[in-house]
Amino acid sequence: MTRTRTSLLIAAALLAARPAAAQESVFGVRGLGFLAQPISAHSAAMGGGESMFDGNSAVSPASLAAWQKLAGWAVGAQSNRSFNPGSGAVSLNSMRFPTFGFATPVGYRLVVGVTVSEYLNRNWEVQRADTVWPRGSAVPVADHSRSVGGVSDVRFAAAYRVSSRIAVGIGLHTLSGSAQTAVERDFPTDSTYHTFAQVTETDYRGFGVSLGLFASPTKRLVVGASARFNGRLSATNPGGNASVRLPSELAGGLYVVPWDGITVATTIIHDSWSVAAPDLVAAGQLPSRDVWSVGVGAEIALLRMFGEVVPLRAGYRWRQLPFPVDTALFVSERAASGGISFSLAGGRANLDLAVQGGSRTAGTLKESFTTILAGLSIFP
Amino acid sequence: MARTSAWRSALLAGLVAAGGCNEKLTTPGRCPELCPSNSVQLVDTLLTGADVADTTARGYVLTNEATYVAASSLDSLKSVFLIRFAPVQTQWAQTATDTVQAVYPPDSVFVELPLVFRDTTVHPRIVFYRLPAWFDTTVTYAQAQAYFVDSAVLDTVAVPDTGSMEARLPTGLVPGPGDSGIVSIGARVIADSPTVVAFSSGHSRTTWPQLWYFVHGQPPQDSLTRNLVDTATFTTFVQSPAAGQPPPGVLAIGGLPAAHSLIHFSLPGVVVDSAGIVRATLILNLVRPVVGFPGDSFFVNAVPILRDYGPKSVLLPDTTFVGVAVIHAGQTGTVELDLARILRLWGTTVGDSMPRAVMLGVLAEGYTLGEVDVWGHSGSGGGPLLDVTYVKKHEVGVP
Repeated sequence: MTRTRTSLLIAAALLAARPAAAQESVFGVRGLGFLAQPISAHSAAMGGGESMFDGNSAVSPASLAAWQKLAGWAVGAQSNRSFNPGSGAVSLNSMRFPTFGFATPVGYRLVVGVTVSEYLNRNWEVQRADTVWPRGSAVPVADHSRSVGGVSDVRFAAAYRVSSRIAVGIGLHTLSGSAQTAVERDFPTDSTYHTFAQVTETDYRGFGVSLGLFASPTKRLVVGASARFNGRLSATNPGGNASVRLPSELAGGLYVVPWDGITVATTIIHDSWSVAAPDLVAAGQLPSRDVWSVGVGAEIALLRMFGEVVPLRAGYRWRQLPFPVDTALFVSERAASGGISFSLAGGRANLDLAVQGGSRTAGTLKESFTTILAGLSIFP
Repeated sequence: MARTSAWRSALLAGLVAAGGCNEKLTTPGRCPELCPSNSVQLVDTLLTGADVADTTARGYVLTNEATYVAASSLDSLKSVFLIRFAPVQTQWAQTATDTVQAVYPPDSVFVELPLVFRDTTVHPRIVFYRLPAWFDTTVTYAQAQAYFVDSAVLDTVAVPDTGSMEARLPTGLVPGPGDSGIVSIGARVIADSPTVVAFSSGHSRTTWPQLWYFVHGQPPQDSLTRNLVDTATFTTFVQSPAAGQPPPGVLAIGGLPAAHSLIHFSLPGVVVDSAGIVRATLILNLVRPVVGFPGDSFFVNAVPILRDYGPKSVLLPDTTFVGVAVIHAGQTGTVELDLARILRLWGTTVGDSMPRAVMLGVLAEGYTLGEVDVWGHSGSGGGPLLDVTYVKKHEVGVP
């Protein structure tokens, strides 16, 4: 039975490892793409506030210390968005898989695991109509640009429980992925012009290392900190090679249990994306900026259904996105969230459900979104 | 417990179904904020010296291989046509057991010519002449005038508006016993004003000249009748001025004998390698108004060369890459041909080794009188131009 479940888990993971094909935001068309969040449905329900301490999330390698037995998990997210480019609101939908992973204890103190997460989402599709003036006369054109792919973060991590109050972790990150970009220009009203179409495949590679530390000075408080240092992200396509310096990430968090059954957590993350600015400017793009991400949430585990505790969660998060849509016009994102969790199979599986509702804004541009996340954790 | 698990599974299935995996990604671009940073940029360039070598060769379809014969009294084209029919059969019988009858002399003789073209604004008539059975097939227009004398006139017939024209010829036209059995006729056109008339030739696939002769039996079988028919074995027309090699600096396309013109290009790498050519127009300056049946139109095409052997070059058989232009008789100014597909082909791995040359000709040669004479690269009236619109090399994906 255990072997069967493990095989199913591996199969599900391989399925999810296919390149994501969903646009997460209209703002992902700029810069290196849309900056993903490698957090679980559990953490998402709490506004990302618990992501520092959540073993299903890939913020801190020390969080693997939470696992005391073999575990596997995967998260799916369906996002519905609304955006008004000025010509009327459009509705957009997408499906993606933010993260999945495995972890297993090795002995009593050591836990090792592998996590695969989205890092940069480069899925977008844009259509626009324009008029150009070749040969001195007006010619209507229809441009269609599409990018499919992105950069995934594969983390090989280990966490070690130094004592009952301290855990440390280290993660080695491999960034890899590709994006297929298709550009097409059609001349819908002038048959003397031929359609232009070009497809370019770009491969991405990069490395990073992360460190994490949890300390629990009291029984009801855990303090966490993590740091991640990235190398350069290299991009290769038939047109040439380029590389971009990637940011370092510093994160801190608090996990508080003020009363039994009630948890409050917060995570604050800073990414130094401004280090990528010179490379982006050299490539003809606008410079990126350092960004902050703040999440806070609470969980109440007092409700019981079907004989099991059913945790209820709520949270709020706010973050900045690093890539501008115009000179000095940056995007910020805020969302309120809520969620619920069910224990399944006699405690051998957890189903976490979360709903996020929020918006991303840049000046007068605003994208509203509602995301439903479903996370399944299995403990065979 | 079992009921509880089932309840949870149903709940899970419901939630997954409600979430659904549907995708709708396309965003109307709001530029520049929400468009890719490197947009498509069109570049337009007029290449004046792209034609570095050109030549004309004539004879791809000969006049006696055309699908029509023309009689013309136009100032720009004088022509008469010549037809030789198959030997007339000398005997006939109604059935295999009947008495064999001699054809000669027939009761009557008709020549039937299916009409291809006439100018309906004039009232043309065709004057038929008897030609020597074995007239010289290489005769020129000037030499042929010796055949067209009053003493050789057979009949003069008004040209109908449509259908076939029938001319009753003297029964004595059919050769008697001991002759070769060959009947040859010639014809010219006369009308209120200069005009041209064309009929199907022996190379037409649907209709062709026919010589009908009507006979009856000898007593006691004189009630038997028979219509016998002969088809043409040789049809041609001779013209003045004769289509020949164009003067230096001039390229000829079409006409009869059909002419091809070969143009070699020298193209900048940025054009061929861009692989983003959206329009390429070969502009040819006409030396004189387009020749052809009045009001007629035809196609000039440009075919890429697969192997360059001059006038006998091997052409790419794939019609996908052929550039075509519609030409109207009497047209002046320029002829413009779309070469975008050909230039795109040269930008591919397969097309990279192909000569940068095209062969210009008339589509369906032998079916039209149309001829286009244009200035070559050394002509005084402005050589071929190549107007190319392409997308500037588009680099995507690399930040």
